[in-house]
Amino acid sequence: MSADPGLTAAAPAAGGLRRSFSWRPRFGHLLALLAAVPMLALLALFIFLVLYAKPAMPIDGWHFLVRDTWNLGNLYADPVTVHGRQMLPGASYGILFLIVGTLASAALAVVFALPLAVLSALLLAELLKGIPAFLVSTLIELLAAVPSVVYGLWGYVFLIPFLDHHLYGFLEHRVGPWLPFFAGPRGSGYGLLTSAIVLAIMVVPLITATLRDGLAATPRELREAGRALGATGFESAWRVVLRGQRTVLFGATILALGRALGETMAVLMVSGNALNYLPHNIYAPISTMAAFIVSQLDSALQDPTGMALRALAEIALVLLVITVAVNLAARLLLQFYGRRK
Amino acid sequence: MSGAILRRRWQSALGWALAALAGMLLVGVLLHIMLFVLMRGGGALSLEMLLTDTQGVAGGLRNAITGSLLLSGLGLALGVPIGVGSGIYLAERRGSLNARVLSLVVDVLVGVPSIVLGYFGYVTLVLHLGWGFSLAAGALTLALLMLPYIARSTDLALRNLPTSLRESAYALGCGEGRLVMRILLPAAAGPVFTGILLAFAIGLGETAPLIYTADWSNYLWNGKFLHAPVGYLTYVIWSYIQEPFASAHQLAYAAALIIMLLVFALALGARLVLLKRYAPAA
Amino acid sequence: MKNTLSPSRFLRRTLIGVAAVAALGGAAAAQAAVQIQETGSSLLYPLFNLWVPDFAHTHPGVQISTASTGSGTGLSQSIAGLVQVGASDAYMSGAMMKQHPDMLNIPLAISSQMVNYNLPGLNGRHLKLSGPVLAGIYSGKITNWDDPQIRALNPGVALPNHVIIPVHRTDGSGDTFIFTQYLSFSTPWWNNKYAYGTSISWAPVQGGIGAEGNPGMVDAVKGNPYSVAYIGVSYKAQTEGAHLGEALLKNRAGNFVLPEVKTVKAAAAAMVPKTPADQRISLIYAPGKESYPIINYEYAVVKADQPNGQVAGELKTLLSWAVASTGGNAEKYMRQVNFVPLPANAAHQSLAQIAKIHG
Repeated sequence: MSADPGLTAAAPAAGGLRRSFSWRPRFGHLLALLAAVPMLALLALFIFLVLYAKPAMPIDGWHFLVRDTWNLGNLYADPVTVHGRQMLPGASYGILFLIVGTLASAALAVVFALPLAVLSALLLAELLKGIPAFLVSTLIELLAAVPSVVYGLWGYVFLIPFLDHHLYGFLEHRVGPWLPFFAGPRGSGYGLLTSAIVLAIMVVPLITATLRDGLAATPRELREAGRALGATGFESAWRVVLRGQRTVLFGATILALGRALGETMAVLMVSGNALNYLPHNIYAPISTMAAFIVSQLDSALQDPTGMALRALAEIALVLLVITVAVNLAARLLLQFYGRRK
Repeated sequence: MSGAILRRRWQSALGWALAALAGMLLVGVLLHIMLFVLMRGGGALSLEMLLTDTQGVAGGLRNAITGSLLLSGLGLALGVPIGVGSGIYLAERRGSLNARVLSLVVDVLVGVPSIVLGYFGYVTLVLHLGWGFSLAAGALTLALLMLPYIARSTDLALRNLPTSLRESAYALGCGEGRLVMRILLPAAAGPVFTGILLAFAIGLGETAPLIYTADWSNYLWNGKFLHAPVGYLTYVIWSYIQEPFASAHQLAYAAALIIMLLVFALALGARLVLLKRYAPAA
Repeated sequence: MKNTLSPSRFLRRTLIGVAAVAALGGAAAAQAAVQIQETGSSLLYPLFNLWVPDFAHTHPGVQISTASTGSGTGLSQSIAGLVQVGASDAYMSGAMMKQHPDMLNIPLAISSQMVNYNLPGLNGRHLKLSGPVLAGIYSGKITNWDDPQIRALNPGVALPNHVIIPVHRTDGSGDTFIFTQYLSFSTPWWNNKYAYGTSISWAPVQGGIGAEGNPGMVDAVKGNPYSVAYIGVSYKAQTEGAHLGEALLKNRAGNFVLPEVKTVKAAAAAMVPKTPADQRISLIYAPGKESYPIINYEYAVVKADQPNGQVAGELKTLLSWAVASTGGNAEKYMRQVNFVPLPANAAHQSLAQIAKIHG
């Protein structure tokens, strides 16, 4: 926007009309130029990842997605040539455990977040009024402003020992016998359930805020009609007002899922960084694609053939495709619904 | 009959109680995090910490505080023109194919995980362009991250202005540039500014895009944009809490407190700007 | 409407804010000191943090930043020219040296590695462990502390009937490098299946934990009863503070030894004479009755060709000071991190390599 002062200054009040013709196209050009930047940036990102990951793709092919075989190979052996490509002996890249860890933690997070978000949105839109509503909604929105790494810190120092002592023992012994996935051993507190709980806290405010705005925009007549039919306050809110916001809720939930899928630092600090195995129960260590890129980038750089760095680009590409697809689905859904209304 | 009504009243009360419980749980978690950071960070933070640089796992945070502000500040300086420009394009060319594509692009960019941007920045800027760990590499990566938020908030702010404003301006023979700069942007200044403040807060709180672009430095920024790593607060939190030294933990908690204060001040500031803007109308 | 900011005004304010911050940072630019960036090994990190304040005191013209990121990062970022000193417990591989022939692997001190465990009630005792048993644990073949193979090494010890939680490093790590070398050199099947490196493909042992850096390892063992981990000896104060057990390891001669100055020096005495001029050699599993099996050179991985003479000069001064017995290798530093100083002939070799650094 460095050109703004110049543009405005170039339009003295008297000559404004005439001048406007001369800089109208210039303004349009400038605008187009600025607007092109995000498009080019995204294009560059996609092209870069595809091109950079390409040499690593034939090594495992589709097995990249369905096997638990992440192995940089023998870093101290001489590289070998396979299909015309230099790589380390024993190198193979299979990230099923990362895909499962990412999807499971994000999905579980959304499952935890959903009831909390719906109830808190009802509270904010239907029950609280005036200052209390403002205060509570401000506080819940601040939850979204807490930096990821602070969630990681809090999770690492407070939440893990807290959950391990007060919740996981109960779950293991009381729920475990009924639901095998809750059975022990419950390990260290680092793992799938802890990651999902931290992620849930991080995404709740996103759903709450969107749903609250949707609820607040519902015409008052709808509520009054509900009440007139003899519904209690909560029944009217739940059955009439909330029902009208089903699509908004769905869209916001998918959006939250997208955020949880790409979350990095907090997960890195509480997930236990599992490698090459799938979680055998809900307490087991996991790793996610985003956290794995941070923790493996330095090791990958030691591969003299550069193949490991390219395999990380493959992970970044898979993560990008998943999050982008999820985000687009949510936005299109919300937009489609918005237009119909 | 009265039994059924009673049961429904009970259910209604139970529903509201659950809603209140959910609200209390969320507010409780926030307060716990705030208290946790405040107690531990408050005990660790001292004036000296603000005025000295990090030395190994001890010392102060001056280098990290200025580094955080520099990285996000420069990121904003790069991201605001592009973001606001894109936002204007979205709002003023709405309906055109280009704007629809741009809108999609902005949505996609919001969803790009920050570590993917960090990886991209590292391989392209730091390694291939040879910028090294630097302010420029960190700030540019952050700019890419902030950009879609600024664009979207500008777009929404301009969209919410009454059409009559545009119509009357055009009727008076006002050009588009003048309309946007003199009439629309001033009218939407509050929400646009809010978007910028929130983008600043997002940048300050980020870690993943910076680890491999800005790296870390124990010293104040030396004025170089390239080939000079920059320290920042979130690095201290992530890295130092895992060190087994008490002095390192103190720095991590103090850094967490400072970053929380900055981010909350920005978030609340953003809300206040909006309130001020809309208060007379309400 | 009156109190709304005009766009140019609020943008100006934003820019003024940015400029103010820039000016604040720019004030430091005036100092124009030489910057040396050190990153890498979390094992060398505490030593660098002892060195830097003392060195900076007598050399005010140089600013040294330190970071604990793991040897993998140290190696790769030094090769990429992103930092001046890559701290590493591991030397560069032959393939990497072929690609980057101007890299120097300069030993600064000799370190060793502990194997620690957290066995309630047994942490006060030194359990006996061997390469093959550790290989069994880390490959998932030995899963219980009460396993016959562990019992055979520790007759008379009431080993708990509990699942073993092996902890390994997730970051590229010199500790992983020397630990897996011990397993590889002592256990042929481990060498065939997993070999060694700063990052290896760990067997999927259920319940096994990955940790970041030595500090993360200490924390993980502390927080998880029945776990076992390999931890650099510069974290001995932390492992002792956490009351972790420390294992006696079986050496090549078949004796069980603890990492002590005596046993580390014995191993060094056997291996230092074999060190080639480029000093890239494993000191693991040294011969000798008293030799501790996991010792290593702590390397500064440095590019011989530095961007300018000023940086090269300061770097040479720093490294020469570091390897001198009157400087960085002095007893007062070494003792604090439980390192052993370089023997005279090794220090001599290091100096010869340092002399190759040029601007």
